[in-house]
Amino acid sequence: MSLKQILPALLALAGGLLLAAGWWLIFMYAPTEAIMGAIQKIFYIHLPLSWWALFSFFLVFLCSVAYLVRPGEHLDRIARSCAEIGVLLTTLTLVTGMLWGRKAWGVWWTWDPRLTTALIMWFIYTAYLLLGGLNLSEQRRRMVRAVVGIVAFADVPLVFLSARLWRSIHPAVFANESGGLEPEMKLVALFSVLAMGFFWLGLVLVRCQQLKSQDRIEDLLSTEQNREEQTEQL
Amino acid sequence: MTEPWVLYAGIAVWAGLGGYLVFLAINQQRLARKISQLEQLKLEDNED
Amino acid sequence: MLKLALALARKDLSLALRGAGLVQSILLGLLLVFMFSLSQKTGSLASGQMAAAIFWLSSLFCQTLVFNMLFAFEETQGARTCLLLSPAPVTDIFLGKALAGFVLIFLAQILFFPAIIVFLGQTVSQSWPMGLLMLFLADTGLACLGALLGALSQGQTARESLLSLLVFPLLAPLLLAAISVFAAVFGEQAGEDPTSWIGFSAAFDAIFLAIALMLFRFVYTGED
Repeated sequence: MSLKQILPALLALAGGLLLAAGWWLIFMYAPTEAIMGAIQKIFYIHLPLSWWALFSFFLVFLCSVAYLVRPGEHLDRIARSCAEIGVLLTTLTLVTGMLWGRKAWGVWWTWDPRLTTALIMWFIYTAYLLLGGLNLSEQRRRMVRAVVGIVAFADVPLVFLSARLWRSIHPAVFANESGGLEPEMKLVALFSVLAMGFFWLGLVLVRCQQLKSQDRIEDLLSTEQNREEQTEQL
Repeated sequence: MTEPWVLYAGIAVWAGLGGYLVFLAINQQRLARKISQLEQLKLEDNED
Repeated sequence: MLKLALALARKDLSLALRGAGLVQSILLGLLLVFMFSLSQKTGSLASGQMAAAIFWLSSLFCQTLVFNMLFAFEETQGARTCLLLSPAPVTDIFLGKALAGFVLIFLAQILFFPAIIVFLGQTVSQSWPMGLLMLFLADTGLACLGALLGALSQGQTARESLLSLLVFPLLAPLLLAAISVFAAVFGEQAGEDPTSWIGFSAAFDAIFLAIALMLFRFVYTGED
């Protein structure tokens, strides 16, 4: 087995181990927040999830632009895997954020710009994933996905801006929750982001490979079937 | 660790990531089935 | 240059006004207004914010139906290829569809507005010129995204539900702006300056008009 074949799995494995190590750091190394207490530890999970989710969607956008400039199947596959994993990470971001908010703010949900943006992003990219089920030709489906990938990412900053205008008076704590971190806390947060990054990259690459073999197998099967039909006619 | 909410968050995250891995594995199995289907077709061709 | 756009818009408008399509979407909007009035206790009046939200939700549903109808004209007749073969830029088709959609949504809103005033007991305040401007901007955004994404699902039977799934969250920022300004029009004390909402909507329209003009040629093709 060549390195290229097992690299994704290795990355995912390394990411998983690093994540586990990160958990140990979160509970053993990071100091407990003075005001919020132990609940603040959710932050170390929440932050990497949201960053990598946003990065995934950014990558969807880049791949979509690249696809329209020069169509290539691999670009579509990267965009698809990134969108899938981005939706997964956004879901987890929302869940961890809600759990944190229940304890820290006393409510599950508040219409803070970030929360609103994350939720709307989740809706948009879930719809993007549903495009795969459309009954279209493979080429057209890729084109549709690329167009939606661009439109969706253009909408994200607008959603954030509008949510900020809408709820202009919100406590400053929401805005600088990461402000005033102690050095140890910063270190742990950085470590968590890196660990999640490895895991993320591994997942994306594994999914890309899988999608690639799926496409190839489906191609082979359809040509085989066509051939059989032709021989039957003869 | 006296904070149950952190635990819940941890469970949710690992369940989510694990769930995705399960999804990938199921997909892989489906692909394996299709490959064996292809092999079957190949065999039938050779017999002809 | 815009000859085809205008001709297409005129053709679509005459087709839409002749058939039952527009009536259907207007009826759905009016029904929504009526249904929402069920959520109130007898004798109490809806807040301006709520009335504004209902007005724009009705417009949103109307927009989805209108653009499904507009793109179905070509699909059912198999005329999309003919349209694409005409010696005019594809963006003209986009502009024509968007223009027709804009007019149809506006016509529907002319009926929705008095319905909201009557059924939800609203009064129009001094800031109505602001509302008119907002109406124009929001309808432009609705028409832009509707014309771009309406074309996405060509040759697709499940297009209605998918179109709305995509369009609703994408339009969320614009609707937020429109609802805030209309709440002020219905006499609600505005929390923030409505002019900043107007500026925001103009930016939204500019961005999505540019994107739609660039991307429409990828979406509206001869393929099935």
